[in-house]
Amino acid sequence: MAPFATGRTGVETGMPAQGGPPALPLVPAVRRRLVPGTAVQGVAAALLAVVVLFALIGPLAWPDHAVQNLSRFLEAPSLAEPLGRDHLGRSVVARLAHATQLSLMMAIACVATALLAGTAGGLIAAWRGGWIETALNGLSEAFMALPALLVILIFSALANGDLWTLYAGLALSQWVEYFRMVRARSALVLAGPAVEAAGLLRLGPVHVMRRHLWPDLRPLLTTMATFGIGSSILALSTLGFVGIGVRPPTPELGLMITEAFPYYHEAPWMSLAPVLVLTTILIGLLSLRSKEARQ
Amino acid sequence: MSMRLNHLVVSHADSTLVDVATLNFERGRPVTIVGESGSGKSLLAHAIMGTLPANLTARGSLAMDGRTFDLSDRANRRGLWGRLMSLLPQEPALALDPTMRAQEQVAEGAASFTADSSGARRTAGTLLAALGLGHASRAFPHTLSGGMAQRVAFAAATIGGAPVLIADEPSKGLDERARTELAGLLKLHLDGGGILLTITHDLDLARELGGDVLVMKDAHIVEQGRARQVLTEPAHPYTRRLLEAEPANWNHAWARRGAPPEEGGTALVSGEGLSKAFGGQQLFSDLSVTIRAGERVSLGGPSGSGKTTLGNVLLRLLPPDAGYVHHADALRGGRLQKLYQDPALAFPARVVLWDSFGDVIRRHRLEPARLEELMASLGLTPALLNRRPGQVSGGELQRLAIIRAMLLEPALVFADEPTSRLDLITQELTVACLMDQVDRQGCALVLVTHDNALADAVTRRRIPLGIRDLQPQDKKAFARRKKHAEVVM
Repeated sequence: MAPFATGRTGVETGMPAQGGPPALPLVPAVRRRLVPGTAVQGVAAALLAVVVLFALIGPLAWPDHAVQNLSRFLEAPSLAEPLGRDHLGRSVVARLAHATQLSLMMAIACVATALLAGTAGGLIAAWRGGWIETALNGLSEAFMALPALLVILIFSALANGDLWTLYAGLALSQWVEYFRMVRARSALVLAGPAVEAAGLLRLGPVHVMRRHLWPDLRPLLTTMATFGIGSSILALSTLGFVGIGVRPPTPELGLMITEAFPYYHEAPWMSLAPVLVLTTILIGLLSLRSKEARQ
Repeated sequence: MSMRLNHLVVSHADSTLVDVATLNFERGRPVTIVGESGSGKSLLAHAIMGTLPANLTARGSLAMDGRTFDLSDRANRRGLWGRLMSLLPQEPALALDPTMRAQEQVAEGAASFTADSSGARRTAGTLLAALGLGHASRAFPHTLSGGMAQRVAFAAATIGGAPVLIADEPSKGLDERARTELAGLLKLHLDGGGILLTITHDLDLARELGGDVLVMKDAHIVEQGRARQVLTEPAHPYTRRLLEAEPANWNHAWARRGAPPEEGGTALVSGEGLSKAFGGQQLFSDLSVTIRAGERVSLGGPSGSGKTTLGNVLLRLLPPDAGYVHHADALRGGRLQKLYQDPALAFPARVVLWDSFGDVIRRHRLEPARLEELMASLGLTPALLNRRPGQVSGGELQRLAIIRAMLLEPALVFADEPTSRLDLITQELTVACLMDQVDRQGCALVLVTHDNALADAVTRRRIPLGIRDLQPQDKKAFARRKKHAEVVM
């Protein structure tokens, strides 16, 4: 390895790289200035943190979301049961905690899968071109032509509404946007003089990936992923709401809203609680997103 | 009418960017401000127009037709735009609205546009036809050549009949013929009894316009007088320095003027029977080129003649339609390097320069001290490496690009218009740095340039290119399309 192998860390800390050029005085470089977010973004982050904590700790604190106690149906909120009990006497807060955890985990898994698959496909298509690009492009266009809901429905029908079918359906309907964005953007970067110069300097594909493509794609991907998590959560609860998502008795935000609607007059907290969680997550993500977009 | 500028001071925080006592403008008499980038000459133009960036403050007054305007108020001249004063912007190809046809955007500038838009369109059509653009009035800006876009921008700036025209670096990016055309247009405005203020670093344009020349340096006007006098017998040392920086007046050890062509070494690049066409137009056909070790060759010709394309074919970055290109083994492993017209595009835009250079040094196991040594000999401070390419000036970045190319001790450097975006003094410094390194390393140089004086100063052998069998307009339109195609590719 050349003596400079740790050059990057050297710049990050503002110290001469280990064994690097001792005589080259490096002014401490501020690589990524931490821009203090606005008050709105602080509040958004705090709200999201509360929801995530609830999703992580809630299921441990209230593990029994399926225990029925019909004698206590539609019980009003109390200290022991902060959100009361539903029409089957189940603890609403326990169901809400499990539902939030499910939604967040599903959304993160779907977005991560779609992002990885779409980015990999887009990079391969832009870099290799030729028949690989034609094939991947055709595939992405086929998916664009299908409504996302139809893809999810087909998958649900295949395996009778298991969780993994929802995951696969959501991921499949989302990878296309990552693929198309990454392909278009990388093709532009790869055709530019900077990459041509890197080729003449014989810097190799790792350099092109790390210095040219990744810095260019990173802000776009973060923005898209933040937005994607929000839309996945919304899609999942929409499916639950219309009754083709997660099957009862698994708690799910959309499903909880549907189940609570008939009792809205007697127990409004039952339907309002999942609505509040959904709204908080979406507002939090959207307010954070504006920060990403400005970078 | 006449215009008079009194005690203009433009400042940012504590630094003064423009400080000019009094300037008089008369009808029919051009005033040209020359100077290097950063001297404040463009800011002067924008202070008069009222288009200064909001973080700059201006003081002073502008007297016009018996009315006096306070220059510290940016908004009070807005009502004059188009009718009394107008600006011909830099790089008109970028200033024109890409989604509007030429005639439409020219018509918008007419005073009667809101009341009678079809009448304004007719006026715009007549004006464009008078400028020889009748056939292009329905064209979108991206299909126009630099010279044609300049004429459309001129029509848009003058359709309102404004007697005061301010041209900000109007010749940037234009080749010699387009520049002569531009000077003709500006004289047209003067002949109509207009006031003309031109901001440029192009001394040839200043010569062609005549009238008064003002030399600006570090916010101040250091010399003024008749163009003929200032540009032939300069009194101020800075003006002399400016004139010496013109390639025709260079006097360097590496200058090749009058020297015999180099004795050919071994052939590094040999192209046989090369042909290339773009968009159905033949750029060159059956062309054979050999570049030998240690040689200095220039590729010349007007814009759109295929200079860059031939270069890319010779570098094997672009396949020729016919013929083949052979590279000697001496060019392997990165010993063939290229310098770009816009160095900001030649570095990865979002990482600090240190990372770009670190990768080169690591990949080729170079001695880091070599970078330090090169930076010192090209007069650059190491602190520059902590910036991103966009945060470094064009001249410094081009010198960094030279360093990057020279780190690999190339056998051949291909420089594609490396200084066409730089002012004269920066150009001389940059070329001096390049030639110093070329001399020291004894490598071959291919210089692409439309500037004959520069080619003569640096190289001895020329490969002229030109398109035959084409109407001038087609050539330009074609050149523009070709550039577009290269961008989309």
